[in-house]
Amino acid sequence: MKIYLLDDLQHLQAHLAQDYQFHQVVTNNNGQYHWQQLASDETQPLVHDKPQSSAKGFFFAEQESLLVFNGEYFQETLPTPKPFVLFGVQSCDLTAIHYQDKFFKDDRYYQARRQQCLLVGLDCINPCEHGFCPTVNAGPGVREEHADIVLHPLGHKWLVLEQTSKGAEALQALALIETHWHYLTQRDLALHQCEQKFPDDKYITDGIKKLNSGTITDDFWQTLAIQCLGCSGCTTLCPTCSCYGTRAIKKDNNEFSQQRFWDSCLYEGFQREASFNNPSAEAGTRVERFWQHKFADEFFTEFSRHGCVGCGRCEQTCPGVIGVHSVMKRITKEGGQENGPEVTHA
Amino acid sequence: MLSHIPDCIELVDYIDDGEQARHYLFRLLNLAQSKNKNHPHHWQQVQPGQFFMLNVPSIGEAPFTFTEPPNERGEFKAFIRQMGQVTSTLFSMQPGAILGARGPFGRGWPLDKIVNHNTIIIAGGCGLAPLVTLIDKLTNNSPDKPTDALADKAKNKQQLTLVYGARNKAAQMLTPERARWQKQIKIFNTLDAIDEHPSSNINDNIRANTNANTNANTSDELCATTFQGSPLMILPTALSTFTRPPTTALLCGPELMMSSAATYLTEHGMASNAIFLAVERRMHCAVGLCGHCYIKHQYVCKSGPTFSWQALQQLKAH
Repeated sequence: MKIYLLDDLQHLQAHLAQDYQFHQVVTNNNGQYHWQQLASDETQPLVHDKPQSSAKGFFFAEQESLLVFNGEYFQETLPTPKPFVLFGVQSCDLTAIHYQDKFFKDDRYYQARRQQCLLVGLDCINPCEHGFCPTVNAGPGVREEHADIVLHPLGHKWLVLEQTSKGAEALQALALIETHWHYLTQRDLALHQCEQKFPDDKYITDGIKKLNSGTITDDFWQTLAIQCLGCSGCTTLCPTCSCYGTRAIKKDNNEFSQQRFWDSCLYEGFQREASFNNPSAEAGTRVERFWQHKFADEFFTEFSRHGCVGCGRCEQTCPGVIGVHSVMKRITKEGGQENGPEVTHA
Repeated sequence: MLSHIPDCIELVDYIDDGEQARHYLFRLLNLAQSKNKNHPHHWQQVQPGQFFMLNVPSIGEAPFTFTEPPNERGEFKAFIRQMGQVTSTLFSMQPGAILGARGPFGRGWPLDKIVNHNTIIIAGGCGLAPLVTLIDKLTNNSPDKPTDALADKAKNKQQLTLVYGARNKAAQMLTPERARWQKQIKIFNTLDAIDEHPSSNINDNIRANTNANTNANTSDELCATTFQGSPLMILPTALSTFTRPPTTALLCGPELMMSSAATYLTEHGMASNAIFLAVERRMHCAVGLCGHCYIKHQYVCKSGPTFSWQALQQLKAH
């Protein structure tokens, strides 16, 4: 790994925008943050706040064609994106991308996009609202191998960490001068100080433990699920949610396109079969599935981590107030008792 | 890398069998590779209990089991019940239509636990379909393999008994299959309602018919082995026909029926890892990505569709 000191971030932005389609988080008129493609001659200041939507849609498209059928044969419709850069992805979202890289490792559509992408990560030096990335080992500093280049703010300067050969290639023409390694110590200190600033969230670690203890009752999930409107806000914004449905679309030329689109395990019909048999007809079953998928230890084997990356978007968006903080507090308080009689809720 | 792209298949023919259900004959097109016997096409490596995704281009995909695996010419059969949009569109199509198929997918029946083991098979409705290729193999009825090695092994060494339940006579399916197996295995057919014989009583029928099926060979004679009640009601009698108790059970049908039967069998001494169930779930991808077929942390398309009762119990305990 090489490290550089950069005085002017615009210099790097303008350079990358020459070779890549340039995407960055920007602020809109309502004060919300979202990913946007910028023109090659346009630079905007880097936003340190978490964007409303994660970056998952750049790789796992919200809706895409898988194939077309022309009446005689099926033809794959792989995307062919130009090289693009995601500039300033925070650690929680990078951890989610790393998670999905594993999940979609054999998916040609995901990989066609992923391989064209240069990831420029951004260390967080202040906690964000609802975020708890340190608790689930997903931040606030960008993890090794999660980005090609990492940016760390140092007052008016930037520390630039070159993490991969892809990152090195992207930086090569800038002829940056390597800087002293002591800046890495400064980075570690800043990240440590940031971690200390997160509010106490012991209920999350306790909740994860309880969720894996097998003591949470069906009644608990059923009661919790009364507040689930099945709106799919959480699954849409969750950077590791990956469920999808498929449908056929008739095209103008009488060809049929088979598309896949983001689906939600919280929809009543998610598992409903053509016979109307529905293994998860109960809302409690569906809500349990969602939280199990985020925190069950069984997924560790495949992903070496839990599915939740601590971004807190579910808390932010859930109109029923059953995002991660609310749910974990209730699991800890009401979800059943280990080694003793189960506590029932009112 | 996974492929979501189906191979083209031709709808060759179909015959009706049971309530809104048909046997379909399909043919895989463009199977040049399969002509090389040293490198059989992946479609020729189908195991009993595996499934494929049928693509009806104007509607979408759904999973179906093989009732006859693809042969060297790429022909294979599936038993399909008209139920949702995919099957309704399929039922409106005529021979010659071009569709798609992806597969084979999933883990089939555990042959090592079945061959040479006395086996009780309990199926309900079209849940019999995933068992057809297996029973054909074990009874030497595989169309293209008259001297199937598995059947040779199984010959005279194991006893198979099938309990097949349906709501009523109209809902009984796979009649030709049951008729041809009747020569070799004991079959108990149960109907929830036998309208034409309202006085039929399961116990009377059991007394009269327990041994009546030995030489039956026509669909008419299937009626002679039909009892009013549920598969669970006839199960004690079916088990009593074994000279030595069965050591393996295969179940496929409504989940309530399967769990009731599995509970009964374990309560009567069968090991939970000797009971296997074929589980049905909605699927959109069959390759472990779309998420629809989950049972806890596993996906039926990859870990199933056959599970041991022990594995399912362990999954549900988590």
